Amino acid sequence: MYLGLTGYNHESSAALVDKEGKLINYYREEVLSRIKGDKSFPKRSIKKILEFHNLTKSDIKSIAFYERPLTAFLTPLQVAAFNIPQSLPLISHQCRNFDKSSISCFLDLSKEFSGLEEKLIYLDHHLSHTLTALPYSQIQENLCSIVVDGFGDRSSTSICKVNDVYNINELWSCEYPVSLGLFYSAITDFLGFQVNEGEYKVMGLAAFGKKDSAVAKKVSDLIYWDHKNKKIISDMSYFKYHISPTDSFNNKLINLLGDPRNPFLSLLPEDDNFQHFADIAKGAQDKISEILCEIFKYAYSITRCKNFLFSGGVASNSAAISKIAELPFVDQIIVPPSPGDAGCSIGASYYAYLKNQKNLISNLPTPSIYPSRFNSNDQKLISKQIIASNFKLISSNSNDAIAKIVSLIKNGEIIGTVLNNAETGPRALGNRSLICDGLNKKAVKTLNTVIKNRSPFRPTAPCMKLSTAKKYYELRPELLGCYKYMNATCKCIDGSISNNFPTTHVDGTVRLQIIENDQILYKILTYLEKDNIDILANSSLNISGDPTSFDLIDGLMICSLRPLKYIFTDFGLLESLF
Amino acid sequence: MKKDNYRFLDVIQETACAEFGSALEMLAACKSSNKESLAYGYFEHSKDEYFHTSTFLSLLSKAGRKYPAVIARKFRINANSLITKGYVSSEGYLIEKMPLKDFIAYVYTNELLAKQSFEKIFELVKKDEKDANQILKIMKDELRHHGMAEKYFLKYYPRLQPWQLKMYRIRETIKNKGRKFYDKNLKFLDQVLKPLYFFMAYLASRIILLIDINGFKREGINLMEIKPKSII
Repeated sequence: MYLGLTGYNHESSAALVDKEGKLINYYREEVLSRIKGDKSFPKRSIKKILEFHNLTKSDIKSIAFYERPLTAFLTPLQVAAFNIPQSLPLISHQCRNFDKSSISCFLDLSKEFSGLEEKLIYLDHHLSHTLTALPYSQIQENLCSIVVDGFGDRSSTSICKVNDVYNINELWSCEYPVSLGLFYSAITDFLGFQVNEGEYKVMGLAAFGKKDSAVAKKVSDLIYWDHKNKKIISDMSYFKYHISPTDSFNNKLINLLGDPRNPFLSLLPEDDNFQHFADIAKGAQDKISEILCEIFKYAYSITRCKNFLFSGGVASNSAAISKIAELPFVDQIIVPPSPGDAGCSIGASYYAYLKNQKNLISNLPTPSIYPSRFNSNDQKLISKQIIASNFKLISSNSNDAIAKIVSLIKNGEIIGTVLNNAETGPRALGNRSLICDGLNKKAVKTLNTVIKNRSPFRPTAPCMKLSTAKKYYELRPELLGCYKYMNATCKCIDGSISNNFPTTHVDGTVRLQIIENDQILYKILTYLEKDNIDILANSSLNISGDPTSFDLIDGLMICSLRPLKYIFTDFGLLESLF
Repeated sequence: MKKDNYRFLDVIQETACAEFGSALEMLAACKSSNKESLAYGYFEHSKDEYFHTSTFLSLLSKAGRKYPAVIARKFRINANSLITKGYVSSEGYLIEKMPLKDFIAYVYTNELLAKQSFEKIFELVKKDEKDANQILKIMKDELRHHGMAEKYFLKYYPRLQPWQLKMYRIRETIKNKGRKFYDKNLKFLDQVLKPLYFFMAYLASRIILLIDINGFKREGINLMEIKPKSII
């Protein structure tokens, strides 16, 4: 068995690959600790993996950590050292928190799981991303891997040629502090949202912005692609993320764009400053899309590959991916379901596996959509009194429960799901979801704003069968793999009724999920189609700002905190009596 | 705006973090229970703490709106700050670290201490009837949690006498005051030692500049062939 780990600088997680190279378990630390974006050493994830599979330390052959700790520690420090004295607070902070950096991985492993530390190996951060994306591709040779994130262990963007699984050559990189990810995060911060959490909101807000507005152009000028020298240029005088432990932008950016948004003020289309902030978001979103297209063009020119792996936090920008797919040379773009750093433990575990094979491997098996092992029956006993006091078991038979769910959805109800094994995240794909009739405006609005407490300007994703999607949306063949994981947006067909669906964003796009016939949502939709409901709205089972629910108790807790009446579990459909 | 005015935001932000931390502690306790009645009790307790968190977040939001964006931004709540601020230990949840008996005694004591803290917050918000009523309700909840912990403790650990519970309370009160004293002095010490930290940071930066990080570059290199034991 082979473990992969992430943590410290970014979201922590652990993944397990078996001796056949199959991903058999994966946990994000945040879903177990319930602390959103938890980046502490993933001890709960490791413990849960060891317990679930009844593994002893001797069963673990190798453990790979997703970055090279000393490089990750020294690179930002050296950049800061060039900016003395402004960067003294950052250098002081980093040095005093040395024990919280990834250098501690070895010590933490030896403290919590003594003996395992001897099996610890490391790989480059962007290689972790590449190896995370690779198994999701049917083609695993002669590919181009593009990784774009905030900061890895040295660079923020890289292009690699994947000749085969053992031969992954880096051809180009963009060195920190110039970073598309950190630029976008700084704008996220400026707009009053949390860094590493609010980037989705910026993407949603951008759809309301005007690209020709003066402020959008000002944002656009902050970072650009240098065609001559083939590199990203960023005017760092507007940013502070490389010199400050707390701030990502400085007064120069405030002088340029006006006051940042007060995070406690509402942000609704009818509010005074809404358009101004939407224009800022638009400037950042368009710029990201434009530079990504340039990176892909350059990648094609140096690799001549038409099939791309795309990963890193910026690959979560589903709106940008649809623009990239329009480039004429692109045949296919593969984005893993968890393109950010939390997914990197998957790549790290594959690395540990590959490094320990005597015979050469040509292909890594495609991981399941639901690799995170948990069954709600595991908590049925301990939840007995919670359920008896606050819930009613409507149906314990799976087929009967589905029939009832269909009837409830037709009546505009919203259903939560806690079903066998969970998604990699961050997108819920049916097993940790909130679903309702995707054509019912009231139900979709209630799901989005009442149950989830999300900003009203953020759209809810629709989910459907491929045949339905073809009727309403301009699907791109290059992105068919992405649609499975909600990784890319697409446009509604001109004049189609889909333009008026409640899941359609203000710019006429949707971030759809295409489901396959082995998924529970497929079964539900098959019944609903008889009543002309061919689209479900699907959002993650959580309250805005919290991690997605993982186990049964998390799901029951959401029912107790929000007006969610129904929850579908492995042992039946429950009705909340709260 | 006077600096003193930020104190209210600071108090509300810290209290929201503390309540959020408690909600997570109780949720963790619920999941690790081996009795369904205990799991139910902790589930209900956690639910209350989530509602308290939500109340304080609303208060924070209401107050934060009145401040300039540059100030208000500093009072956003980030879940990771629960760990950095010490509301959740980086070592794990209390139930993961201490015996159940100690955990119950901890809850018994801290709910009472929390109620006392809310009395001070009540004084800060009492001009607004709605806010004041919310705080009063939270105070009642805390007293109820305190009473339930006591009941459970005496039922399942009958050999322990009420006076022993009082000892727990005294111990926790002292620890709590100690924590506050430490935190206050740490902040003070931090300011005093700042020039020294910066001087050391300056020295560190001089050393770091001597390191040639060009060796970290990977262009033209097969990433799969770099030594797996290397941390560089």
